[in-house]
Amino acid sequence: MFRISVCLIAMALPFAARAAPESYSFDPYHTFCHFAVSHLGFSTLWGRFDKTGGKIAIDRAAKSGSLEITVQTASVSTGDSERGSRPRSRDEHLRSSDFLNVAEFPTMTYKAKQLKFNGETLATVEGEITLVGVTRPLTLTVDAWKCGQHPVSKREMCGGNANGQLKRSDFGMKFVQSLAGDDYRLFIEFEAYRD
Amino acid sequence: MSKLAIGLFAIALPFSAAAEMESYTIDPFHTVPYFDVDHLGFATMRGRFDNATGKFTIDRAAQSGTLEMAVQTDTLSTGDNRRAGRPRTRDEHLRTPDFFNVAEFPSMTFKSTKVNFSGENPTTVEGNLTLLGVTKPVTLTLERWKCGADIRSAGKRYQCGGNASGVFKRSDFGMKFGIPAVGDEVKLWMSFYGFRD
Repeated sequence: MFRISVCLIAMALPFAARAAPESYSFDPYHTFCHFAVSHLGFSTLWGRFDKTGGKIAIDRAAKSGSLEITVQTASVSTGDSERGSRPRSRDEHLRSSDFLNVAEFPTMTYKAKQLKFNGETLATVEGEITLVGVTRPLTLTVDAWKCGQHPVSKREMCGGNANGQLKRSDFGMKFVQSLAGDDYRLFIEFEAYRD
Repeated sequence: MSKLAIGLFAIALPFSAAAEMESYTIDPFHTVPYFDVDHLGFATMRGRFDNATGKFTIDRAAQSGTLEMAVQTDTLSTGDNRRAGRPRTRDEHLRTPDFFNVAEFPSMTFKSTKVNFSGENPTTVEGNLTLLGVTKPVTLTLERWKCGADIRSAGKRYQCGGNASGVFKRSDFGMKFGIPAVGDEVKLWMSFYGFRD
């Protein structure tokens, strides 16, 4: 009788101790990495990458997870892509070996195994970014995070905003710093649907 | 004697009391207005306009100035402009009458009514935004402002540049589609440069 009770209790317990991570795929139409850099010391230049994809796995019970994002570097877009009569547009310059060198490094990736939660809310992501072939640590602060149903499609999704920063010289991008600053602030909005 | 002294004194004064208005033409390659809105309560949707033109004037002694800008609405760009099998992209949707109605309103404009200063530097620009043919007041706050020689031109060109930001409700201009799933409050910010004429 006692053994049966223990078994019944054990079966009734939620499987919290062995929760499986849920996998989500980033929606490329609502996931963008933007960057902001000081320009000539006068104003700020913003840009974004238009092609991003990847996955995030979240284990809510264990409050852990991992993610991997791949960005197509040639998709850089700062609003100046038509050269007109000039030798090149800004976007073309950014694709050159002065900056992203997209011919040699068509992607940059971010891989993280440390997802830190504050209760139910994702708070920080610690990982590594590989940019122009160089890998360095990069921590992102998540400043908005929500999981729920898409109001129209009812699909399960998680989305939010994150920010971080890096120095391009850490990756070997040494183009004249009086023209374009070394410090890049990153602003990422993301939405991911459960697989 | 005193009249002569006053006369000499007046001649010796620097011409700071005389207004010196400088005029600048906006550099379209480095003047980019951005906007962001809340998307579904999940994340922020950010976009920009790729064509902005205009002029600004500044008179530091008189602490006055003007700003006039025009933005081509069909140059909006949110990073989604390839259909890939869908009926339309987000950028195409934004160009329709649901949002910017670019066919009927090819440009939106900002015209200042007052520029406020702190010493020689402008701090805020009060003015009117005309969007979808509706004109409402919007104030821009200058977050960065600097004037100096443009090092790219070996110092031959003189420029003022910086960042500005503002906020407005799109429903005030009649752009009501998708509220509240797509936010009503629009944060706008921009980098800008002007070359001295």
